[in-house]
Amino acid sequence: MRAPREWVDRLGLLLTAVGAAALIWLPFLVFKSNRIVPGEPRALNEVLPFWGALGVQAVLLGDAAVALGVADARRRLAAALAGIVVLALAVAAAANALTPPGNKVVRIAPGGASWVLLLCLGLMATDAITRMRPGPLTRVLLLALTLAIAGAALAHGSFDNLSVMREYAVNAGRFPRELLRHAWLAAGSLIAALIVGLPLGILCHRSPRLRPPVLGTLGIIQTIPAIALFGILMAPLGALAARLPTAAALGIRGIGAAPAVVALFLYSLLPIVANTVIGLRRVSRAAVEAALGMGMTDSQVLWRIELPLALPVILTGIRVVLVQNIGMVTIAALIGGGGLGTFVFQGIGQNAIDLVLLGAIPIVALAFSASVLLDALIEALDRTAAASTEDGS
Amino acid sequence: MRAGLAKILRSLCAAALLALVAASPLEAAVVVSSKLSSESAMIGQMIRLLLNAQGIPTVDRLRIGATPVVRQALLAGEIDLYVEYTGNAGLFFNDAADPAWKDLEQGYELGSRLDYAANRIVWLTPATASNAWALAVRGDVAQAYHLRTMSDFGRWVSGGGEVVLICSAEFANAGTLRSLERTYGFKLRSSQLIVLAGGETAATIAAAAAGTNGANTAMVYGTDGGIAAAHLQILEDDRHDQPVYAPVPIIRESVLRQYPQIATIVKPLMESFDRETLQQLNARVQIDGESDEAVAVDYLKRKGWLK
Repeated sequence: MRAPREWVDRLGLLLTAVGAAALIWLPFLVFKSNRIVPGEPRALNEVLPFWGALGVQAVLLGDAAVALGVADARRRLAAALAGIVVLALAVAAAANALTPPGNKVVRIAPGGASWVLLLCLGLMATDAITRMRPGPLTRVLLLALTLAIAGAALAHGSFDNLSVMREYAVNAGRFPRELLRHAWLAAGSLIAALIVGLPLGILCHRSPRLRPPVLGTLGIIQTIPAIALFGILMAPLGALAARLPTAAALGIRGIGAAPAVVALFLYSLLPIVANTVIGLRRVSRAAVEAALGMGMTDSQVLWRIELPLALPVILTGIRVVLVQNIGMVTIAALIGGGGLGTFVFQGIGQNAIDLVLLGAIPIVALAFSASVLLDALIEALDRTAAASTEDGS
Repeated sequence: MRAGLAKILRSLCAAALLALVAASPLEAAVVVSSKLSSESAMIGQMIRLLLNAQGIPTVDRLRIGATPVVRQALLAGEIDLYVEYTGNAGLFFNDAADPAWKDLEQGYELGSRLDYAANRIVWLTPATASNAWALAVRGDVAQAYHLRTMSDFGRWVSGGGEVVLICSAEFANAGTLRSLERTYGFKLRSSQLIVLAGGETAATIAAAAAGTNGANTAMVYGTDGGIAAAHLQILEDDRHDQPVYAPVPIIRESVLRQYPQIATIVKPLMESFDRETLQQLNARVQIDGESDEAVAVDYLKRKGWLK
């Protein structure tokens, strides 16, 4: 049974329309004579020599044709990737051509058209990957490959004349530190939430009377705005540090990482506890009773039957928490916690959008990578679970 | 299972102990901090570099947050030194109405006395520049109507001058604008005001420079780096309506007692900061996008304080 073939691909039609409109009406690049003046728009044929601009347009046109009329996912992926590479090279070449030699003050950023086209091609690529239904390992490899290529391109210096990379060059000494700190704050609060949340979830599963008050309380915490919770925590933690020098020496202080980690920990509890309860509830009664019948003890049933079977659902909760934390750690910069939010808030303060992007783009990349990795892990576990059920073991 | 758990617990304890050792601050290192703004961070960098050059160990905790956060950190002893602004003491001690804040010396005297008495915090030498709120008009407008001072501005506006002021909500609503209007005898209609909810001066300067929505006057800070680059003319507060906000390093007394030479190290640096100097230094960070550390090193070397 083959599905009837559409004569145009609907997603392709949408992407082509949006991409074409962007290329016609939005600037390809934005040129600023310094960091804070409003930018001047520049079109594609203004910033590249005639043949270069024509070449880029030809590649984009080819991509549109593939997006509209080619069904084969591999070819769609190849076309989209080629488009992304050509677009990135065009932006880099134009930025190099527009920058006066030795000038460190002018700022050249991709314009609306470049961003929209990049988004369209990115969607085309991810859609093609989805259609190919790659296994979890392939997805992780694809992610690693993408990151490696992007990293190598940035390290090579081809993009050094783009405004975001200018901001990077200024902050190169601090960037790795803040990136690591960001990741560590997000992961650390997740680990703390796991240590408390998993036992709490198991407890809630075993005693239904405990469930409503615990989940209710955690639900209420979830509704407190992040910045308010950070503020609320500063006072008690500061007081604690003043009374207990050991706590202060351990880094538990009113300012810095401690209030951020505690707040994120509190936010992380609900998804972890709730998913643990749901995951355990999904485990079939029959499996548990069979295990008990085989003479397993209560804790053996928990560790060998219930938790492994509930693991995919629990991991889904962890995925939610990690992605949520990576985004929310940003605000930690306001209370001395550091992280990539430092760049975001400094950029907002100085009206320097490129500095904001220097913080925001890695945050998005981190969240995206974490979500791909955990999704792959969940799927791999689901597959092994399915396989072992089929084996009857 | 039990043995495994015990092992995990033991390694966790070991990790905690390690963290304790690693986190305990170096004996007697001075924790230098700053607010998020680029000027505070830049001056903080300079102080940190100077202390290091004189053999005083420091810990870099610059840009940790807005004023309340940094202030609380200093009071709690989590940081030792940061750059405050003299006029802010009016807020800290709930005494903003005192006319002393409108004068650099009187404000410094009052602020340092209050802060020392209440918190054992010592105010070191202040800069001569003031980072107070001010108004700046577009250069072409200033030239056409001969606007140099706020008095000129007041006369121009009350005589029907076509002004559109862009400012933050705080500036418009917290009494600053009203106070300027009263002192200089003008009154802005709401149609002459563009109020940004969370407005920073970088945004107001950019808008006035570009003439966004007809704006030709911007709320600025006196030492903003963008003023000259955006071809704006700052209007002198000739009748001293606004509190003076001179940058001043403040330090916990216990730390100063340990390193009394900090006061003399910082003095020539702070005295070198007049309005033009700070504007130029700020411009390098805010407009050209240099790092505050690079600007700090360069300035100290040019002054011969750093080799």
